[in-house]
Order: sequence, then C-alpha cells, then structure tokens
Amino acid sequence: MIRRVSATSCLSATAFRSFTKWSFKSSQFHGESLDSSVSPILIPGVHVFHCPDDVGIVAKLSDCIAAKGGNILGYDVFVPENKNVFYSRSEFIFDPVKWPRSQMDEDFQTIAQKFSALSSVVRVPSLDPKYKIALLLSKQDHCLVEMLHRWQDGKLPVDITCVISNHERAPNTHIMRFLQRHGISYHYLPTTDQNKIEEEILELVKDTDFIVLARYMQLLSANFLKDYGKDVINIHHGLLPSFKGRNPVKQAFDAGVKLIGATSHFVTEELDSGPIIEQMVERVSHRDNLRSFVQKSEDLEKKCLMKAIKSYCELRVLPYGIQKTVVF
Amino acid sequence: MIRRISLRASGFAKSSFLKSSRFHGESLDSSVSPVLIPGVHVFHCQDAVGIVAKLSDCIAAKGGNILGYDVFVPENKNVFYSRSEFIFDPVKWPRNQVDEDFQTIAQTYGALNSVVRVPSIDPKYKIALLLSKQDHCLVEMLHKWQDGKLPVDITCVISNHERASNTHIMRFLERHGIPYHYVSTTKENKREDEIFELVKDTDFLVLARYMQILSGNFLKGYGKDVINIHHGLLPSFKGGNPAKQAFDAGVKLIGATSHFVTEELDSGPIIEQMVESVSHRDNLRSFVQKSEDLEKKCLTKAIKSYCELRVLPYGTNKTVVF
Repeated sequence: MIRRVSATSCLSATAFRSFTKWSFKSSQFHGESLDSSVSPILIPGVHVFHCPDDVGIVAKLSDCIAAKGGNILGYDVFVPENKNVFYSRSEFIFDPVKWPRSQMDEDFQTIAQKFSALSSVVRVPSLDPKYKIALLLSKQDHCLVEMLHRWQDGKLPVDITCVISNHERAPNTHIMRFLQRHGISYHYLPTTDQNKIEEEILELVKDTDFIVLARYMQLLSANFLKDYGKDVINIHHGLLPSFKGRNPVKQAFDAGVKLIGATSHFVTEELDSGPIIEQMVERVSHRDNLRSFVQKSEDLEKKCLMKAIKSYCELRVLPYGIQKTVVF
Repeated sequence: MIRRISLRASGFAKSSFLKSSRFHGESLDSSVSPVLIPGVHVFHCQDAVGIVAKLSDCIAAKGGNILGYDVFVPENKNVFYSRSEFIFDPVKWPRNQVDEDFQTIAQTYGALNSVVRVPSIDPKYKIALLLSKQDHCLVEMLHKWQDGKLPVDITCVISNHERASNTHIMRFLERHGIPYHYVSTTKENKREDEIFELVKDTDFLVLARYMQILSGNFLKGYGKDVINIHHGLLPSFKGGNPAKQAFDAGVKLIGATSHFVTEELDSGPIIEQMVESVSHRDNLRSFVQKSEDLEKKCLTKAIKSYCELRVLPYGTNKTVVF
C-alpha cells in the first residue's frame, strides 16, 4: 500500500491554520512539488520489538527510524508490572530510497542484538511478500467462505496456498468453483481414528507462514506442531475456557447460559488451550433454540477469526507469559 | 406504585371530558374517580389452546387493562409461559378476588405456577443478604435499596466476617435498623441451623459474595429461592478466585453470572450474565475492579428481574427471563 502525502491536505491544513505568511516553497513537507521526478514516495512499515526491559529502548528504536528519515505515526509500548519485559510496536512511513529494505532489517537487527531481543520483526506490507497461509476445515465451511470472500475483497492480505479438508466437496459447490476460479488447490485428506495423515498435511503446508484452522475438527499432534514449527491459529466456537471440545454450542445451550461466544487462539498440544488472541460474545435467551444458538455462534466465529488473523498479519499479536498474548 | 392516567395525553378535543369520557381519570367529583394500580401475573403450565384467551378475558372482565404481554412456548416442548402487566381498579377487582380468579384458571390448566403480584398492595419481598469479606455487592444493594430502586425489605445481613461498628456498612445498617449477624463458620461447622433460624421467614436469599457453600439440606430445609453472584462467566472459572483464574488463563473477556443456588457449586440455573473486555494492559487489580463492577450490575439486575416476576424455571437447568 503506497501512501502519498497529499498536497491538497497540506494546503487545506495550512488554510485552516490561516498561516497567511506561510510560503509553500519553504514547506518541509514531503509532498508533491512541481518537479515530480524528485518526489519521494513514502511507504508504511511496522516494527515489533520484544526484549528484556531496559532504559533507552524507545529512544534507540525511534532514533533509528528518525535517522533514516522515517516518520513514526503510531507507537505502542507495553511493559507489564513486575515483569522485566518490554514490548513495542511502531508504525512509520519512510522513503525506501533513503532507507533500503535490507538496510532496515540490519538497523533493527543491530538494536535487537544490543537488547538481546526475544523478537524483532519488521514488515513493509508493500514490499514484503504476503503471508502464505493454508486453510484447514472439516465439514462446516462458513468460516472458510468468509475468509475467501474477504481475501477476494482485498481485506485479508495473504496468499492462500491451499485448502485442506477431511471432507470431500463436490466440484459444483460454491467453494470448489471459487477455489478453481482463483487457482487455489483443494486437498481432500480423509482422516481416520488411526491415521491423521499428518505427514501429508505437513508436506502441503511446510512452506506456509502460518496455518488457519477454520473449523478443522481434527486434533493436530504435538509432533506435527513441532515439525511445522510455525504458528497455527484456531477458531473455537465457544467462550474458552468454557465448553472445550466437541459441540460447544450444544453444551452452551444445555447449560442455559445467557451469553455465547467464540474464541480464536494459538494451537498447542492441549485441545482448545493455547494462548487466546480474541474473544467475542452475543446475548442469548430462552427465546433462542439450538438453531439460533448455532447461527449466532457462526456469525461470531467469522468475525472473531477474521479479527485474529488481521491482527496477526499486522504484527499486533505477541506472546505474553506462558499462556497469554499481547494484542496491540 | 399508583398510576394515574394522564389526561393530557388523550387529546380528545371533541370529547366532553366531564360527561362522556370513558377514561378512568380524574373528574370534578373526586369521590368516584377510580385509581388504577398495576399488577403482574405469571403463568406456567402445560401448553394448550385457549390459555391466552382465558387469561386476558379474566383480566378484561374485571375492567383490567393489559399493558404488556409476553408469551413463550418453546419448540417441541409442551409448556406455556406468560407474563402479563396490567392496570386495574382494586375496587372493581379486589385483591383476593384477583387471586381467586387466576387460581381458577390455574386449576383449569393444571398450572405448574401461577403468581400474581400487586406491588402497591402486596408486602415487599423480605430478603436476607449474606456475604463474606468482599462487601462491594452488599454496599451496592444497600444503596439501591435506599434509593428505592430495590423494592424489598431487608430482614437482616449475615456474614462470616466480623465488621467493626464504625465502618460504613455497620453505620448504614444501624441507621436503617437492619440487624447484622456475625456467624463465623469453620470447616466443620457451617452453622446452618443458626442461619436457617435467621432467614426462615424471608421470601428469598441473596448471596452477595458469600463464600461458604450452603448444603443440600439447608436448601431443602429453607425451601425458597437463593440467588448467588459468581464473579466469573459460568461455567468458566467455578469456585474460588475466578478473577485470578481468568487472569492466568489470558482471556480477553471477563464476566459475572447470577444464578439460582443448587447443591452443586456454581451450577444452578443462570439468570443473568454480563461481560467486559480485558487485555494485556489489565493487571490482576484491574481484572478484579472490572469484575466487581460487573458483579454489582449483574446481581442488581437479577434481583430486580426476580422481584418483577420475570424469572421462571425452564427445563432442568435453565431460566426464562422475560
């Protein structure tokens, strides 16, 4: 996403402040001048940093950006009480001519080493390749459909490598036609109690950046998770830690709760127990039957999963302690 | 609460107010002006054709005017629930006649439950409040009660924690003539007999952060409803310190649940639930603070619903809340 600093908005801002004495030529704005061949194009970057706490981190990071002409537009710092950790996330715009992409990596890496960072990640959405993801699902496909539509609308900035399911789908269904139209492969990998065909799945996903379980109802083993080594995001159609496991909507219905919810979280060995990224609820009452419980739940799952993936792609999600997340 | 029908609202310019008006309103001769008062009736029976017709006819026949009506018949279940709000003239329809008339219908339909309540005539619900150390819920209830927002009579307050006489609560209770009973409990002795003696004449009990479990025997002996506030979003985080459990679990939403008390801890039919967002920026202290705010609102709402006859049992473990 390339952002030009609009000249129009500069002028109107000037007018608003009624700087009648303001001479446009002397403006220090990066904007379009009459000679377009020297107009720098500023592009956005995001940097997240996670290290043991110390004095001077923000100063170093912000100075690093400023020294290369970058302009910080947003900055989030979080240092939890009584814990010696530091988290920051900065959004900035910069001129890739002045600050080449590889140089940026180096500059942040230097600081990362200095502060023994646990994590230092830079992302320049308009230059860096999109995240490559695989989507896994079983029979229920409302989450997949939502993600495909959002992806098509450009609201999900990823590359969908493939879709994997343990349910077969006929070629004339909406999903299959959609995937075919967009050249996304669909892999039917049936599982049995004995064989979860994790090797085949690993082959298909090993080059992805992360995996999304969009109502994939099979458990991925610890071995798989270790071999894959990257993040796996799941949507659970219940408000964890309530109603883990199967059919949480029916569990909720039988329990007579007045609120139902959905939870997106990182997948760990233990079922439905990984660090939570996002949760959403909706009210239910005696007037809801199981069908409306399910309908409300599906709506929540779609929103919750989308929000989690969006946050993840924007580098907003960081590990916090053993079981939690920072979500900027 | 006596309601007079507002004359201004009608706007019947041609209507001769004095003579032909059919409104129950104030006339020049105040000795014949009927005063209409509100009533509420809830009905719970096996489903059948004609219940609403019978109930509404019963009210209309005595000049009552139905202002609100909720009917709920769940799918595939042969039960009927209704709750009606109406205004009536107690001269035309005396209080005990109201009871009789509804009772007749109740018998016709083999009703599981038929309750009428006329707030301005009937005695207020007598309740006892139980709490342990945390008193934010009790304080909220006392203040709401003082403001007239909690239409109950507080018989007494019972706690297994002692409170010094110069504390806000103790001075408040003394000012209002509400006795405070310090009933200390141990693991072996929950002193339920003594508690029972103190509460046996109440209409229902409210556990406002009372951290002792009431036994099945006590509940059976007491026989009436007991409402509890649990500072967690049930069925998550049952038992002690749910705010800390939630904090450690890294949830992004915390909640409170008010429910009826049964033998099993934190498992009775849920009446009301409320949530609030939390994030990494919350520490345990703010988790607790948000939780306390939720508990106050959630418990007050549940009790208000209960007093307004909005809460009915549904199935084994659920509630209808109109």
